[in-house]
Amino acid sequence: MSPAGHKLRNQIFITLLVVTNTLGNLFVAIGMDAMPAFQPGKLLSYSVRVLTNAWFVSGIALMIVWMVAQLSMFTWADLSYVLPMTASSYALTAILGKFFLNENISAARWAGIALISFGVILVSETPAWTHAVPPPEEEA
Amino acid sequence: MRWTWLAITVLSSTVGDLVSAKGMVQHGELEHFGARRVGRLLRYIGTHPLIVTGIAFNALSFFSFLALLSVAELSFAVPATALSYILKTALSHWYLGEHVSARRWLGAACVAIGVYLIAI
Repeated sequence: MSPAGHKLRNQIFITLLVVTNTLGNLFVAIGMDAMPAFQPGKLLSYSVRVLTNAWFVSGIALMIVWMVAQLSMFTWADLSYVLPMTASSYALTAILGKFFLNENISAARWAGIALISFGVILVSETPAWTHAVPPPEEEA
Repeated sequence: MRWTWLAITVLSSTVGDLVSAKGMVQHGELEHFGARRVGRLLRYIGTHPLIVTGIAFNALSFFSFLALLSVAELSFAVPATALSYILKTALSHWYLGEHVSARRWLGAACVAIGVYLIAI
């Protein structure tokens, strides 16, 4: 794979991780919003109610895609690279929370969104793979 | 109560990510994403002891996160779990042998502070 190919692969996967993580969290939260507070004594009826909630189930499906995509990325990129790079999903979650759940974005929260974006840019300037040896070749 | 669920969420997610990343590093670089390759990848993920352990810890983290969501607002729950960034960044050098440069630490710190600002 060419250097440009590597860069494109990184961009595609970071975008995929951010989108699936943000929407997965949002959908699960919308599903949970409709639920009463959890009581251990009502585990069964609670579980049935959660697992038949369309928002919750689509959220879980997105989280499974997110998990497999993130694991794939660990074969060519550091954990300490992937995690902050995908942190923009927290900023996105705050913004989506404003639009879909009517949560407020205070001045402090806007500053947080800006700092996260700055941190993501800093980490994006570091090499994705810093192990002493290159990633092992995948067997054919 | 929300701090207990938060602690379980953060600690189990940290262990889960470190352990499953270790398992994935041994896989070798993924360069192609055809159906057969993805099928083999899913089999690798489902059978590698480290990755299965990591997924189990992340599942624990997920369910304690759900419990957290039932007692706290989304705007507390989601950003607060990102405290694990600092923990994971610190441990990725020791456990995975990654080189965390000053620039990367600064970036991770900005992210963590930003996450804290979102949380308050």
